[in-house]
Amino acid sequence: MSAAATAGTYSPASAAGEKRRERKEELRRHLAEDADWPRADGRSFHDCRPAFMQTGPTTAASGSAYAEFGKTKVIVSVFGPRESKKAMLYSDTGRLNCNVSYTTFATPIRGQGTDNKEYSAMLHKALEGAVMLHTFPKTTVDVFALVLESGGSDLPIIISCASLALADAGIMMYDLVTSVSVSCFGKNIIIDPTSDEEAWQDGSLMVAYMPARKEITQLTLTGEWSDGKITNAVELCMDACSKLCDILRERLKDASSLAE
Amino acid sequence: MESRKPPPSALVDNHVVPGDVVLDLTEMTNQTIKLGAGLRQDCDTIQATSAGRLRLSKPNKYWVESSQKRYIPSVEDTVLGVVVDTKPDNFLVDIKGPNLAFLPVLAFEGGTRRNIPKFEIGTLIYARVVKANSIMNPELSCMDATGKAAEFGQLKDGYMFDTSTGLSRMLLSSPTCPVLEALGKKLSFEIAVGLNGRVWVNAPSPSNVIVVSNAIIKSESLSGIGQRSMVESLLERLS
Repeated sequence: MSAAATAGTYSPASAAGEKRRERKEELRRHLAEDADWPRADGRSFHDCRPAFMQTGPTTAASGSAYAEFGKTKVIVSVFGPRESKKAMLYSDTGRLNCNVSYTTFATPIRGQGTDNKEYSAMLHKALEGAVMLHTFPKTTVDVFALVLESGGSDLPIIISCASLALADAGIMMYDLVTSVSVSCFGKNIIIDPTSDEEAWQDGSLMVAYMPARKEITQLTLTGEWSDGKITNAVELCMDACSKLCDILRERLKDASSLAE
Repeated sequence: MESRKPPPSALVDNHVVPGDVVLDLTEMTNQTIKLGAGLRQDCDTIQATSAGRLRLSKPNKYWVESSQKRYIPSVEDTVLGVVVDTKPDNFLVDIKGPNLAFLPVLAFEGGTRRNIPKFEIGTLIYARVVKANSIMNPELSCMDATGKAAEFGQLKDGYMFDTSTGLSRMLLSSPTCPVLEALGKKLSFEIAVGLNGRVWVNAPSPSNVIVVSNAIIKSESLSGIGQRSMVESLLERLS
């Protein structure tokens, strides 16, 4: 009885693993050819994933936002401004405290979230240039990002979602921050890569950008890039950021008209 | 993407978000303008720094009106605070702001060292913001400008609930908010609204308190007509 039950047990992990291996083999073949190839989700190289964004999912927070880009799902909550802990030294500018965490089920292999400390520091760097810290001295604004499902390009989505949450919380900002990443595959540059594409990239570039001020708050570059390719990639990211900013604006306008 | 530079006051009563250029100063010669909350000057432009509706108070005062869960103290605002600690010289009061507010023990009508009020922790107080500075803790007073107690002081009994700052402004707006007008015609109740997003309701019967509270909470996302019809349906169920 028990032997039969064991034999009939279905393991979704192994089936998913086989599918992933097949996709990676296919990707490897395309990379060897170094020609145009169809992406797994049917997008062209310069197409972003469909984006869904919403404000106010967390009622307890001062401001919050939810973002869904393809399979990547992120929720960001903003608390404050609230009084800094007594242990902290006096500061005539406010503090921005950022924390990125992953749910245990966010990645295909359970509990294998990316380095949260590194992402937290990068989120802080991307946002601190946009937040008017001098408007809330002696106080702290806490930004908590939780990745519900990791489907690639996690950090850019976290940054864009955090920017929306900060605006929802009424924190004074110079401009909204939007972020997009691109991956380099041989001669090709693909925008908004999925986790499978990120696993096989030659290099990646992420830009956090303030469209109204035309300022880059963060630029992260990894892997092998030529000068010309970097210029093209940055321009591509900035253009995508401007379009993403329009979505953020619409969401904020919807939220404030709903409040009235 | 070019930054749009609208003519003066083109965005008034429209929604703006951080980074939006709301005024181009190069097109406004020999004009003095006053900037309120949510706006800043950046070279020859006025930009929004928070999301909300751009408002204009004639002739020249601009600000962004938004609804938030947190409250930024401002002088002369009336607020509902909760006593969280008592010190010899003042009470520490939570007003939903970034810092706790001070309420001096002498900031009451006829306040002297001999008749210091005794408030327990958790007492609800209706007060006025006297000092508001981003660097210092705000200071409250339970007297009006003439030194009279007026409506300020401890609020006993009743029920207090939190709302957004936008809803509390709507409840205090003139002419009277439709939801309060509709409720006032049928029910007798007392209400105190703080600009910090707290509302206190008291009525002879608990059922009235519940009806009034629910009506106010639901009214945030409704139009004037919607508010009246919602109140009517609530009162029908009550009778």
